[in-house]
Amino acid sequence: MIVVFNSFAANLEAEKGLSITPSLTGFATLDVEDQGGLFSKRLNPEILTIRNSTYEPALARLEKGLTNGFFVVPSDSVTLIQNNDSLATVLYLDYRDPKRSVIRQEVNNTNQALSSALTSSYLESIKSQNNTTNTGVNEKTSGESLPLQIVRKVMLAVLLFLPLFLFGNLVIDSIVGEKERKTGEILMAMPFTSADIILGKSVAVVLTMALQVAMWMIILLGAGFPLKNAGIVYLTVVLTALPIVGLTTIIAAYAKNYKEAGIGISFSYIFIVGILIVPLLGYLSRPSPAANISPMTLTMRLFSGETIAPGDILLSFAFILILSLISYGISIKLFSRDDVVFGPRPGIMRLTLELMGLKKRGALK
Amino acid sequence: MKLWALSKKEAQDILGNKIYLLVVLVQVFIILGAFGLAVASSVVSDPALLDQYGITSNIKVGMTQDLQGSQLAQDLEAQKLKLVYYNSTQQANQFLGGQLAAVVTISPPGEVQVQLDNANVFYQVASTKVRKAVNNFQTRRILHYSGLTSEKIKAIQEPVTLKEVPVAENEKVEIALESAYFVEIMYGFIMPFILLLPFFLASNIVTDSIVGERERKTFEILLMVPLSSTMVVLGKIIPILAFSLIQSVAWILLLDLLQVPIFNTLLMVAVLFSMGLGFIGVGILISILVDSTKEANSAITLVLVFATFILFVPLFIKSGMFQGVFNFIPTVLMVKIASTPVIGLEIMLYLLPTIVISILVFLVTVRSFKHERAIRL
Repeated sequence: MIVVFNSFAANLEAEKGLSITPSLTGFATLDVEDQGGLFSKRLNPEILTIRNSTYEPALARLEKGLTNGFFVVPSDSVTLIQNNDSLATVLYLDYRDPKRSVIRQEVNNTNQALSSALTSSYLESIKSQNNTTNTGVNEKTSGESLPLQIVRKVMLAVLLFLPLFLFGNLVIDSIVGEKERKTGEILMAMPFTSADIILGKSVAVVLTMALQVAMWMIILLGAGFPLKNAGIVYLTVVLTALPIVGLTTIIAAYAKNYKEAGIGISFSYIFIVGILIVPLLGYLSRPSPAANISPMTLTMRLFSGETIAPGDILLSFAFILILSLISYGISIKLFSRDDVVFGPRPGIMRLTLELMGLKKRGALK
Repeated sequence: MKLWALSKKEAQDILGNKIYLLVVLVQVFIILGAFGLAVASSVVSDPALLDQYGITSNIKVGMTQDLQGSQLAQDLEAQKLKLVYYNSTQQANQFLGGQLAAVVTISPPGEVQVQLDNANVFYQVASTKVRKAVNNFQTRRILHYSGLTSEKIKAIQEPVTLKEVPVAENEKVEIALESAYFVEIMYGFIMPFILLLPFFLASNIVTDSIVGERERKTFEILLMVPLSSTMVVLGKIIPILAFSLIQSVAWILLLDLLQVPIFNTLLMVAVLFSMGLGFIGVGILISILVDSTKEANSAITLVLVFATFILFVPLFIKSGMFQGVFNFIPTVLMVKIASTPVIGLEIMLYLLPTIVISILVFLVTVRSFKHERAIRL
């Protein structure tokens, strides 16, 4: 994955037009009549399959849906350009095909590139004739492009947080496994509280995750990834493991079997990834202190070497702490109930109302 | 009939799983979210769409006070950009990267200075529009004293024109957004992702199928049922494959409703069927080979990561060397099938390896099941 991300970022940097778009080789087909060859060799061959043709066969192919468009350049294009005359091109587009906008854009891009080149060369000749000066343009860009930031920073943040999502099965096995192996009763009969059991099992998983994250970071640093503030980055990622494991323990405490728990964590992890990644993407497009609610945003800012206000760090850590307290509180409460652990299990809605104190436990209505 | 009974029992088990049903519903939100994201990213990067939705006025360009009302300011305003004036270039530059997407000034010798914020979400549009405005300004400035006719000046300003002729306009296929980026990202990534999602999410159901029977001590009973190994494996595959296919067809209809038409639906269902058979077959094979559901879940996670890599990375890689191989990747085929109204027969050739691999996976699964049966009974 590291090699893929590195080469992807290198590709993005190497190309002028930075965007994350699929590389759809031969996505659309375009017939071209261009005797001068000025336009056809400038059309993007990576997305268009270009076929040299003439008017009647091309239109017949268009009618049959064998090509998506037909681009006609006047046969005297070279002469027109030499005389500084306007060059009228025509594009026949098949409106039954949704790829028409792709062809339109590619042909427009080619026309604009040629237009700019022709205008510039003419203006250069006039400037040298009239001895006109001081008409240049000095263009500079600052900051890193959004797609490159997404690949470099978001992907790196995702790589750092990935281990936190690989150990859900450990949590599930250590709690649901007790139910399935019928050892839950023995565990409950031991002189431990429900809190001891849940927290004990969670600490073991969090420590495994911490070890994995440490190994991951060593590999990333070894691979040359610029990870600034490595210590606090590590701490933030490991602390984020706490609420994730906490939420997983809720699912494990409630689930009847592995299958149910497995689907439950697939579903909840999509939700957790959303909570982590959406504020991060929002921060890249428009930096806002509120985006620091996601520890992933804080991590990205930390490893990028940004100066971070203490309030931003506090917001992220407070979110981790509150979510951890809530998740462990719920899972301990669930695990201490015989009906949840051994059945008959109450429904999610009733359980929620009971946990919120809106319904008395055991009340039928 | 016996196969039908087994399939019916498996189907009832699946339908009785409330979380699986919830996951089915969640997919609708994933699809709508992905569609919304594609629309937003397309609008943000397309100057014409930004103009159409009146968002261009949110792109702010900083200039110095002395340029207020100048020809350059007029050219920038003609691009519908919002101009904000400052006392000095230094003052304007302080806001670049914040509220300003660009700063445009003219240096004392007459050179146009353009500073663009590369990290701005509207960078592509801001860059195109500012460049266009500055080019217009420069061209006009140079041609001012040239003595050319207005016709000649127009030919120099716009040497190449393009006229679009619609073909079969009365049969026009409506698309949610008339944008190249939208079409590329929807057909080139989001569509295959959405249609394969039901198969990915069904993985937990699949891995439980055999090892779950063993853990629940019902495996021997299943083996004693008067059904051949092929029929048992088919009975396990058919329900989840059918449910996943039904979901995929529903998402095809949803995409049609969202004006992202999927062409060659039958062929698409055939591709999904082949991929589903292979994918679910691998899941059942894992379920036969492992000792516990936990092991099966870990193994299927690895398979999912590997499958995602194989299926989706080729969509984002330009490789002349591997392009011939990429043509056989099922997601690449899905892109071609879904976006092309008239599909060539050569697509069947490209589809062949997917079908062969799926059948092989199925046969290996049946063989493993037979082996397991021989050991157990």
